[in-house]
Amino acid sequence: MRFNIRLFILCIIILNCLSLIALNSSLHQEGEFSGKEQFYKQIVWIFVFWIVILVFYFINYRVYFNLSFYIYILSIIFLLGVKLWGKEIMGAQRWIPLGEFNFQPSEFSKLAVIILSARILSLDVKRAIFFRKLILPLILISISFILIFKQPDLGTAMLIFLIFFMMSLSSDIKKRYIIYMLILGLVLLPLIWVKLADYQKKRVIVFLDPNVDPLGAGYTIIQSKIAIGSGKIFGKGFLAGTQNQFNFLPERHTDFIFTVIAEEFGLIGSLFLLWIYGNILKNILNKTREVKDNFGQFLCIGIFSLLFLQIFINIGMTMGLFPVVGIPLPFLSYGGTHLLITAISLGIFLNIVKQW
Amino acid sequence: MDIKLIRNLSLGGLIILVISLFYYQVIKGDMYLNRAQANYIRVVSKEAIRGTILDRNYETLAYDRGAFNIAVIPYQIKDNKEELFSKISRLAKVKKETLTINYNRNFRSPFYPVDILIDIDKEKALALKEELGEEVIIEEIPQRHYPFGKELAHILGYVKRGVNVSNNSDVYGYIPYQRVGLAGIEKYYNNYLAGRDGGELLEVDALGKIAGFLGANHPKKGKDIVLTIDLRLQRIAYQLLSEYKRGVIIVMDPRDGQIHVFCSQPSYEPNQIMRGVDFDSILKAEDNILLNRGIQARYPLGSVFKPILSIAGLEEKKITSNTTFICEGRYRLGNLSFECRSAHGKQNLIEALAHSCNVYFYNVGAILDIDKIAKWAKKFGLNTLTGIDLPYEKSGIVPDQHWKITNIKSPWFKGDTLNVSIGQGYLEATPLEVLVAISAFANGGYLVKPHLVKEIEGENISLSPSKFLDLSLSHINEVKKGLEAVVSWSNGTAHLLDTLKLSIAGKTGTAQTIGKSHGWFVGFFPSSSPKYSICVFLENVGSSSEAVKVAYDFLKEAKNKGIISQEEIKR
Repeated sequence: MRFNIRLFILCIIILNCLSLIALNSSLHQEGEFSGKEQFYKQIVWIFVFWIVILVFYFINYRVYFNLSFYIYILSIIFLLGVKLWGKEIMGAQRWIPLGEFNFQPSEFSKLAVIILSARILSLDVKRAIFFRKLILPLILISISFILIFKQPDLGTAMLIFLIFFMMSLSSDIKKRYIIYMLILGLVLLPLIWVKLADYQKKRVIVFLDPNVDPLGAGYTIIQSKIAIGSGKIFGKGFLAGTQNQFNFLPERHTDFIFTVIAEEFGLIGSLFLLWIYGNILKNILNKTREVKDNFGQFLCIGIFSLLFLQIFINIGMTMGLFPVVGIPLPFLSYGGTHLLITAISLGIFLNIVKQW
Repeated sequence: MDIKLIRNLSLGGLIILVISLFYYQVIKGDMYLNRAQANYIRVVSKEAIRGTILDRNYETLAYDRGAFNIAVIPYQIKDNKEELFSKISRLAKVKKETLTINYNRNFRSPFYPVDILIDIDKEKALALKEELGEEVIIEEIPQRHYPFGKELAHILGYVKRGVNVSNNSDVYGYIPYQRVGLAGIEKYYNNYLAGRDGGELLEVDALGKIAGFLGANHPKKGKDIVLTIDLRLQRIAYQLLSEYKRGVIIVMDPRDGQIHVFCSQPSYEPNQIMRGVDFDSILKAEDNILLNRGIQARYPLGSVFKPILSIAGLEEKKITSNTTFICEGRYRLGNLSFECRSAHGKQNLIEALAHSCNVYFYNVGAILDIDKIAKWAKKFGLNTLTGIDLPYEKSGIVPDQHWKITNIKSPWFKGDTLNVSIGQGYLEATPLEVLVAISAFANGGYLVKPHLVKEIEGENISLSPSKFLDLSLSHINEVKKGLEAVVSWSNGTAHLLDTLKLSIAGKTGTAQTIGKSHGWFVGFFPSSSPKYSICVFLENVGSSSEAVKVAYDFLKEAKNKGIISQEEIKR
């Protein structure tokens, strides 16, 4: 199967439209369009999104190979910066205010990790592959991990590890080394548990059984499941989701935007969305095969992993398959930084497409 | 490049999502749709007003008045529940645990109001609302009130709110605290009194704000019930009985079984139960105050059984009104001696009834033997329920040979027969059974079915027919003469009543029991065409003269107040 650029662009435009539809609905309350401002902001963001794609489309992706360490160091500086000048929203320090816009350094870290990993994994080394391609990058990424984990943002912290592991799975490192590392990670999980904030522990506990705290930590997941399930096959219709419109569902324009789609457009709508995502992901993999440059290939896999993991974890989270962690749904969730990072990733990818 | 592995991994991931979506939206879809509706659809139940209970002169005996519930919405108070409960506990002067218990018991969903305080008065409710504002919801609910409290408690009974007591599918919505009659008329006629609860279906948002109106089903008031009770007489009876520890006064129309007075002492305060406080103290009170002694307790009859034995003797043709027996103060059976109150000398039936001569009835009993006596006691309903429209009625015991073998595990002796002949031994009945039996002499041989309800919602209640005993009228009149002599003769045992000039006929009884004897007076008037029959029963007062005195005081008071007049009864 060859990469199909027209289909790829069309799918992204469809996602932009779906994002606006779902946001429009989620920003309504009892038939009143109460979140107009955010909706118009998102329209502006979608314009910015395409401009960013266009800008990065014209930047030769090989530049990043040489810049990869500097980019990574910059991401670490950003993370330290957020520690010093960060703005606290809802108990977490994740944002650096830049005028109207709150920049989220941990989003930038995702990209930095992808570029760094692509460089390390694409190097042609003969000796000490295990150390140079697995241990060394893991140590480097751990710095970001700890800084993001401390914000606290468990979801993004885990995500950067998972992105790296997915990329390493496609490399020439022996699979069993990777599996050893994963097992080591599992063994170290209790250590992380001790370091978790109370609200994070609660989230994990209610993930195992949401009913232990139906009005607290378990609330969102219970209401989200009710919303998704009650959509049934055909959904309740646009602006007719009761969980959404009557305000039973928190965070519905950001992390739980999928729930709005599932409630109002049912299984049909949800499957359509997954099909569009599937098309985009499939096209990225198809292109990866055609790329004759190792670094380019790993960049593609990194971008693929970033999109796939976020889609999988976010949608899984809305159905209680994963604990509630702050991972947005690519293209759909409201919010600037993650859309910007998605745009940069796509711009880089399209430049690779242009080159090959 | 191992793209295939990546492809398979992510395909697997997407398939997991599809399966999960299918599970939630198709397999569990209906369940989650219900839960979504439970979130935003609120049923505001509107409790039906219960029917009013009135006496025969349309005096109100039980009615509904407004009371208040305090409710909270769990989602709204999730962060300050403990604090709020402490505050309410302090303001309303209730234990905090009570609030927590109510909260846990009534919790349905995060968005449905949960009643935490039930049946509080208006001032308290408004004070709480003023203090706490949006955090609490006031719900007005009807509360039962009994203006005459203890005086009618055993007749009216009481209602209580129970959780889910009804499975009635007509109920629109969910009434967590539906009221149900648990005793007396309130229980027996609950279906008529209760009416049908209604409610409103509203759309609400997560903060409990009403967003839309979906429909309503208006509650239907219960039916009003008019009793045969005469409140004026009932109050006199209660007043007189309250001088005694335990006793019963029943006044009935012997022609159709309408109960005018039904009073059992000691009594309880039903309004106390309404307020939901201290049911335990009522249960544990001395002398079992919840017991309606008129229908729920059995007592030995003593001499009030003698009229029944007399008619048995006459009907079985073992005696005539002229048959005489000589009383020397005792009756000998082998080396046993059965006593009489005094040596009455030669006695015929009328004399024996007037003087309540035991020896005469020992002789009659001995001639009849236990099987015949039991047959007639049963015929007069002493071992069957009278069928009064009150719950939990008990029936008396009429012993015979078979009964004694199965229950006492001992054969029947001739002495047992003699004891039963004067209403002692194993023979026991409820005061109402005795009244109904003696009323048969007043109405020409019918066993009426006593009842308390006259009208339901303006419609007269159809009476179930009385049981015809098929007695010879001349026999009835002969016994009746004896009962008249009890009052009219100067040496009759109830001669005190003669001064009332109501032409009363009746029979006294001093029933021996453990401790002091019970006192009975059972009679009717005017004896030519009786309109009232009356039973006064006093537990452990020593002698029947107390009962006669209470009957006298009662009728005198009724006469003085003009409730019972010579003109009226002559009509």
